Amino acid sequence: MSAPAKIKTDAPPASIAEDFAEALRLGAFSIIALLLAALLFSGVIGPLFALGSVEETVTDVLSRLALVALPFVAYIAAASVARRCAWTDTPRALGLAFASSLTLFLLISAGHYALDYGVFAPRPSLQMSLSQTADGLRVDALEPGGAADSAGIHVGDVITAIRRDPVDMAAFNLRLSQSEADAPLRLRFLRAGEEMQQTARVVIVSDKQLSALLPGLAVALVFTAVIVFLPGRWAPYIALVGLLTPLLIGYIWVIIATFSFRTEGLIPLDGQDNFGGLTLENWEAIFVGNIAGLEFNIVPILLTSLAIAIIMTLVVLLVSSMAGYALSRMDFPGRRFFLSFTLILHGFPAITLLIPIFIVLLRLGNIPLIGDLIGFNTAGGIALVMVAFQLPLGVWLMKGFFDNIPWDMERSALIDGASRWRAYWQILLPQIRPGLLALGIFAFIGGWNAYIIPATYSIGSGVSNLPVFLNELIDETAPVDWNQVAAVGLFQLIPIFIFFIFAQEYLLNIYAGGAKGSS
Amino acid sequence: MKVFIDQLTKKFGDVIGVEDLTLHIDDGEFVAFLGPSGCGKTTTLLTLAGIYKPTEGEIRFDERVVNRVPPKDRNIGMVFQSYALYPHMTVFQNIAYPLKLKKVAKAVQHERVEQVATTMGIGNLLDRRPGQLSGGQQQRVALGRALVKEPDILLFDEPLSNLDARLRLTMRGEIKHLQKDLGITSIYVTHDQVEAMTMADRIAVMNGGHLQAFDAPDELYSRPKTQFVAGFVGNPPMNFLSVEVSQAEGRYVAQAAGLRLEIGRERGERPASHAGAVVMGIRPEDIQISEDGTVAGEIYIVEPLGREDLIDVRVGRHSFLLLASTETQHHAGERVKLSFDMEKAQFFDPQTEKSLLWRQ
Ligand SMILES: Nc1ncnc2c1ncn2[C@@H]1O[C@H](COP(=O)(O)OP(=O)(O)O)[C@@H](O)[C@H]1O
Ligand SMILES: [Mg+2]
Repeated sequence: MSAPAKIKTDAPPASIAEDFAEALRLGAFSIIALLLAALLFSGVIGPLFALGSVEETVTDVLSRLALVALPFVAYIAAASVARRCAWTDTPRALGLAFASSLTLFLLISAGHYALDYGVFAPRPSLQMSLSQTADGLRVDALEPGGAADSAGIHVGDVITAIRRDPVDMAAFNLRLSQSEADAPLRLRFLRAGEEMQQTARVVIVSDKQLSALLPGLAVALVFTAVIVFLPGRWAPYIALVGLLTPLLIGYIWVIIATFSFRTEGLIPLDGQDNFGGLTLENWEAIFVGNIAGLEFNIVPILLTSLAIAIIMTLVVLLVSSMAGYALSRMDFPGRRFFLSFTLILHGFPAITLLIPIFIVLLRLGNIPLIGDLIGFNTAGGIALVMVAFQLPLGVWLMKGFFDNIPWDMERSALIDGASRWRAYWQILLPQIRPGLLALGIFAFIGGWNAYIIPATYSIGSGVSNLPVFLNELIDETAPVDWNQVAAVGLFQLIPIFIFFIFAQEYLLNIYAGGAKGSS
Repeated sequence: MKVFIDQLTKKFGDVIGVEDLTLHIDDGEFVAFLGPSGCGKTTTLLTLAGIYKPTEGEIRFDERVVNRVPPKDRNIGMVFQSYALYPHMTVFQNIAYPLKLKKVAKAVQHERVEQVATTMGIGNLLDRRPGQLSGGQQQRVALGRALVKEPDILLFDEPLSNLDARLRLTMRGEIKHLQKDLGITSIYVTHDQVEAMTMADRIAVMNGGHLQAFDAPDELYSRPKTQFVAGFVGNPPMNFLSVEVSQAEGRYVAQAAGLRLEIGRERGERPASHAGAVVMGIRPEDIQISEDGTVAGEIYIVEPLGREDLIDVRVGRHSFLLLASTETQHHAGERVKLSFDMEKAQFFDPQTEKSLLWRQ
């Protein structure tokens, strides 16, 4: 009980003024650091690229990112001082946090003011102030001689539309902010119940209204308060969620889209643009075999996909593990050459081989019997080519796993009475199950999602797998129904999900067994 | 089963694992291969097991030449230093594996495994996996697996070196006992001479791929045939120094700087007839500190071993290790007199390092 008290008395308590000074110092440091970073990107690295005639926007984006992040980083830096006493002396922490973030906010705003940046940046304007009413946007005030005034707009007019597009406040502001200087905006408005229209020309002004600072100030204070009281261990999760959100939104869209008639953002809509329109038609179309007039039978496509993936998984696992074993355990002439050669093969860009392999497959197709199995336009042929591309990686991976099994275990099996083959099968393979599983998953997903090779070696035949079909769907239907494309895409994912669910259980089993043993 | 190793050589490319090894092992005998690390013990063992093919020479089990016989047809049981248990199998499956490969009936498998496990004191662990066992328990499982198929020959490759000292002592006794009970011809590889001395009927001392000696433990101890054997067997190791042995008026004397020791006729005759200096070896327990000693020296260091003290005494340029009872307190810097039991002294040819007393 006395321990915390003791800690408090041990460290000489810093005065609030000292803490405040430290918070400001940290904040100022971050501001300077980010300004320098922005300058580095836009003033040094960017021009260097430009010198080399490299066109890029990355440096520009990074520079602007640094400027956007600048105030937040400064508040975080300042809040870090207040965090120390967040839970022991909350009023002091809050006071410290608000005082420092307010000061920093003013500092940054002053900078913006001086540099015409941020909320003080010049912006497109019609030099009038509006308020939303039930009929439209009512003109509350005009700048005499300003853009609206000279266009003949009066106080009390109610703006309903720009050209033919009805506008509310948000739409109006968006339209305005996207306009360039001197752009004509034809406004429709009601004056004394009568509909009229006038064209106003956009001017770029920097009005520097201090009231524009208020939202920024609110954000600064709330943000700082959150940072002060945020438990430290949440930070990674918040960062993670922040980074993942765009991805998650993408996945959520796909799922929603497949079950709806039309979507606006993530909101499913029906034919009249009202919320709703949920339907199973997109899925039904896959099984019925008719999407926007394109007729197909999903079963052979599915079977082709499966055949390629399964053949590939089995052959890759079998050949890789056996070759890996030989390379790891046996000494034969050419072993070193073989090893380095496989590595080079792995680095070889597959695309360059498309044509020669095409010729090989054509020739193979002419051989009776075998040709029907692995020739041109067969799932076997496609799988064979894909296997060949996957093998170098597989062989190396497996060799590495075998290298890690102690020799003694294999010797022990041989002495116990196993043949070499049996020792491989019953003793060694079980030791590398995680490796086999990983390679198997790679191979299966690779085969299942394969596009280039199936698309190249199954021209104009019934042999097409799901990715090839998906591409056909986009190519041959117009207009493209993206909700149905999403459904086919999700459909393609289902086996992968199933595969993963089982694989995960399996993986867990392997490690739960405490399988490491003594060696 | 008898084991005959004749002029066995095993090379790995240019690296010599073992060279020109000849060794005949009797039925039911317990033989230890003793030697420093890298001397070819494991190589010999694995060649016997059939894992390595001999480069030259011949291996026979009784009358059968087994050079080309694969390991699975040799009916050998082997215990590895790393135990080499199969991590994905339970203890039961590990022990039963050799039987399964022999296609022994399931019921018989159960019976035999239970029996062996009980003997090894691991009957309650049969459902566990190796990863869930202590080192000592894994050792017992490995032993059980080697025994279950009732092998003709048992091979041990430093089986105890991963265990703690206490457990090692217990297992040493158990293995020895088991081997005597079962009467299986056994070869036990170790670099620990205490293990070899206490367990083996005969010890093959190896060095650098060559056999140095093959004899009963007390023979090796009291009649070492090479200087290497003399130095390797015995702890603390034998003291060596270069001396001149001469004969005058029927008395034999070994002389070195600051040292003059009389030798009996039987021991002295052979070294005396050797021209030039010879290497004399004397074990620590054959040197005493006593009032009527003939050699004066100064204690350099005293190392208490518990039961006795290990004392390093300097005599001129020479240094002798000896053991003294803890009753008399000795301390560094003390001047003492030493008496040597020259009836136990060994003499070696400095060129060939062979004993001048015992012919091979
Ligand atoms: N598989 C192998 N390949 C190449 N050299 C080996 C191999 N096995 C052992 N050696 C070499 O043979 C010699 C004897 O090794 P080993 O029999 O393992 O010694 P020990 O078991 O006595 O410690 C050593 O020099 C070792 O490096
Ligand atoms: Mg060894």
